[in-house]
Amino acid sequence: MLLTILDVLIAGLLLGGIYALIAVGLSMQYGVARVLNIAHGEFIMLGAFITWTVYTYLGINPIASLLITGPTIFVIGFILYRTLFTRLRRISPTPEAFEGSSMLACFGLLFIIQNVAIIIWGADMKGYSYLAVPVDFAGAKFAANRLVTLGFALVFCVAFYLFLSRTRMGKAIRASAQDSDAAGLMGVNIKQVLAICFGFGALMAGLGGTLISMSYNVQPTMGLEYTMIALIVIVLGGLGSITGSLVGGLILGLIGSIVTYIEPGLSMVAYYLIFMLLLLARPTGLFGK
Amino acid sequence: MTSARYIDGKSLVVWLLVMAAMALAPHYASRYAIILLSTILMYVVLSVSWAMFSGPTKYISLAPAAFFGAGIYSAAVLGSSLPLLVVILIGGAVSFCLAVLVGALTLRLRGIYFVMFTFGLVELLMHFLLWFELNINDTTGRVVPSIDNSTVYYLMLAVFSLLMVTVYALQGSKFGMALKGVGENEEAAAHIGVNVTVLKITVFGLSAFFMGLAGAIMATKWTYIDPKIAFNPVVSFMPVLMAIFGGLGRPYGPIIGAAIFSYLGEFLITKFPYYYMLIFGVILVVAILYMPGGLVGMAQDIRKYFLRRQHADS
Amino acid sequence: MVKKSRLLQGLMVLGVAMAFLVGATAADCAPKKDKDKIVIGQAISLSGPLAGGVAISGGKIYELWVEEVNKNGGIYVAEYGKKLPVELKRYDDKSDIGTMSNLIEKLIVEDKVDFIFPPWGTAWLFAAAPICNKYGYILIGGPGGAGKLKELSLPYFFQVLNFSETQAPVLASIFKEVGVKSVAVIYRADLHGIEFGKSLIPDFKKKGIKVKMNKSYPDGIKDVSPMLKEAKSLGVDALVVACYPPGGMLFTAQAMELDINFNAFFLTVLPFSPPLFKGTFGKAIEGVMGGGAWNAKTSPGAKELVEKFKAKFGEEPDYWGGLYYWASLQHFQKAIEKAGTLDQKKIRDIMATQKFETALGPFWYDKDRFFVNHPGEIGQWQKDVFEVIDPGVKRTAPPEYPKPNWPKKAK
Repeated sequence: MLLTILDVLIAGLLLGGIYALIAVGLSMQYGVARVLNIAHGEFIMLGAFITWTVYTYLGINPIASLLITGPTIFVIGFILYRTLFTRLRRISPTPEAFEGSSMLACFGLLFIIQNVAIIIWGADMKGYSYLAVPVDFAGAKFAANRLVTLGFALVFCVAFYLFLSRTRMGKAIRASAQDSDAAGLMGVNIKQVLAICFGFGALMAGLGGTLISMSYNVQPTMGLEYTMIALIVIVLGGLGSITGSLVGGLILGLIGSIVTYIEPGLSMVAYYLIFMLLLLARPTGLFGK
Repeated sequence: MTSARYIDGKSLVVWLLVMAAMALAPHYASRYAIILLSTILMYVVLSVSWAMFSGPTKYISLAPAAFFGAGIYSAAVLGSSLPLLVVILIGGAVSFCLAVLVGALTLRLRGIYFVMFTFGLVELLMHFLLWFELNINDTTGRVVPSIDNSTVYYLMLAVFSLLMVTVYALQGSKFGMALKGVGENEEAAAHIGVNVTVLKITVFGLSAFFMGLAGAIMATKWTYIDPKIAFNPVVSFMPVLMAIFGGLGRPYGPIIGAAIFSYLGEFLITKFPYYYMLIFGVILVVAILYMPGGLVGMAQDIRKYFLRRQHADS
Repeated sequence: MVKKSRLLQGLMVLGVAMAFLVGATAADCAPKKDKDKIVIGQAISLSGPLAGGVAISGGKIYELWVEEVNKNGGIYVAEYGKKLPVELKRYDDKSDIGTMSNLIEKLIVEDKVDFIFPPWGTAWLFAAAPICNKYGYILIGGPGGAGKLKELSLPYFFQVLNFSETQAPVLASIFKEVGVKSVAVIYRADLHGIEFGKSLIPDFKKKGIKVKMNKSYPDGIKDVSPMLKEAKSLGVDALVVACYPPGGMLFTAQAMELDINFNAFFLTVLPFSPPLFKGTFGKAIEGVMGGGAWNAKTSPGAKELVEKFKAKFGEEPDYWGGLYYWASLQHFQKAIEKAGTLDQKKIRDIMATQKFETALGPFWYDKDRFFVNHPGEIGQWQKDVFEVIDPGVKRTAPPEYPKPNWPKKAK
């Protein structure tokens, strides 16, 4: 019995690591740049496909491919913000109008990125097997690739947190999140900072995609599903909070694992039920102010 | 309270002419044109009903798929046991009740939280129904008796007419003004003597009612319905995009937006099946970037531009 | 006043748009010219969630068949006294059933195609079959199908693929033969899962096999390890999962990662796909059973199909329906040639009653117009070949039991 509980808990944490990682980026993009990125999952998909491609054709280790996916997707995100969202921000009469129109623009991006992926990689499902071996630990068994994913997710989240709290750029990002006008007056190049922030959000999605591709199959339409999960996590943890996303991800993973253990048919129902109950009872999330 | 203030004799005549032309369409248009027009009308109904609530209040609802789906699913459950018209009305009523419930629950939510709640609603309903049907009813798919294309068309046209009458009646009434007030300043709107809460929920319910009617009608075209087919999250975005593309400034904006958008979709999908999404996405992004007021807004800008030029010339 | 005139303008614009629309669609109704080709329309998912399935099963067979027919100069139609080449006109239904049903009607009433090829997926067949039937167009079902389709009893609809009805009894017989005592049945929450999951249970009971676990899982689940562990703790001999590819991939990957082994490991929709299943897991799939089934050893025609498919697409075909669809198209071609006309009714009558020789051997439909002479029901990966392990003459290799444990080291 004890072993079962331990098993369920650990499976939940392993799942939660992935959830946390994909949520952090979305949370940042909304929290600072005010873009509810419905196309977040498409960046995850791009990351997953890049890793699949370099592993299958060039034999580059999926973990090493993090060094390729991260920067590539950062650049895509950065450019998108500097061109598309900067203009939208300028022409939107109110911040609320910007939130609405940027979300719809993201929906357009979702279409574009998905179709480009179909043109490049074809519509078929793809996959590869990497580190699909058990690791024994105190009598219980874990998947090596999921363990690696959890490790990286924690490292990335902590690194990102330190970046935001310790570096100059991080402080500028946080200042912009609180009050972009004031930050602008204090000499922060708002456009640049927001674009970098959006780029980092995309980068986290790309890294998440790389790690996801080690455990799940990859296809051009996989994005929306992960976007939904990331949305649930950031509502759980509070919009814009890094710590919140990390803890929220782990909690959601645990919930998923427990419900799957009791009644697998209800695992998705549980996700959305918690999401909506939380929105009603405490929209600022478990850790929001 | 009457719509007379907003629709004068001349426009009424134009309206009646358009409606007459559309009512007679099955007699002169090709068979496929009727099918296409039914789909376009479906999108028009979805966009106009979306705009009816979200336009004035500025609450972006991503629940159209939930209400449309509720209509579809009601038809799937009842389709073979009750007469068609009753099934369609029940489809609308189920959506109305669902919307009233959601509206009452989400009163405190504003902005992005409302968006996310409505988006989540679609998935929750879909997954719950899947589980429920499978474990409680021991089934998944349901077969709906199909009806012929011109009946679908006439039914959709009837729903559209009913919707337009409702929209104009609402616009001309003090409730329409109060609803607009909600979008501008909710607290202030409460002071002009209208029960804002009840109004908001009622209009939200009404808009869902029409989406439900449309869903119940379309279900008869699809024969086989399961929760995944009924609750398609993409359906939530389409009416929003179409309404905004047309322009929310005028009641006919969403009509034009939906008509052009759905026709464009049809055109692209048949001419460029492998690049459809790409082109559609680009058009979408460009429209959001360069036509913030939608087609209606753009037409007004062009008019203003020419008026100014004329003015300058004289 | 300004407001009114703008409203008027708006309505006029709308009126013009509608008129344009009606005119545009009506203008295409040109009279038929003398035939120089046979046009076949197909609305299928080229984008959206179903596109992945189309790409791994079915979609490519139609392309290959068209190419093959044209290489031979086309289909001979006596009415025109010549061979007519075939053109495949494809539209993307973007995985949306409403779009698909519209596009099929467009293909029929506006494009006036000669024949219709099926869309992809069970629900899509349900929607397409009554439409085709209404217009008197033959619809030969490809990927997808269900016993429930018989209830619609549509004279122009032909079902090709096999599914739970014929596969479940065979699986139960194989399990009985190799000595499986108990099973865990897990199924996806949809029509495929429910038909398969539930129809297996009486078959297992009949053979005295105990069903110790019976659970459904929803689409989109991200961790199935609790189900695998539960099945393992119940000590079952066999794990049977009625799944679609994403779920099947997860069950396989997680069983491997956690080193959870069963004596028999069966998945419905996935093992038949070499590019996806073998391409992902490599040698580790030894002993996995799957729905299907056929392989190059089934018949000379099957061997030829594998070679042609490999030459064109650089990968192996799908070992569930690939050969069936291929053979159904050959049967269809022979029916047209025999009818000597493109008249749907005449061709339908020939198809419904006559037997023709095809790549898989003789091909015919039963009284419900369901194809019955499947070359196999259950397959198993053995040394890189998807062997047919049905008891009886269809068997290309005896079942391997127990299945070897998952390999210990990463490849």
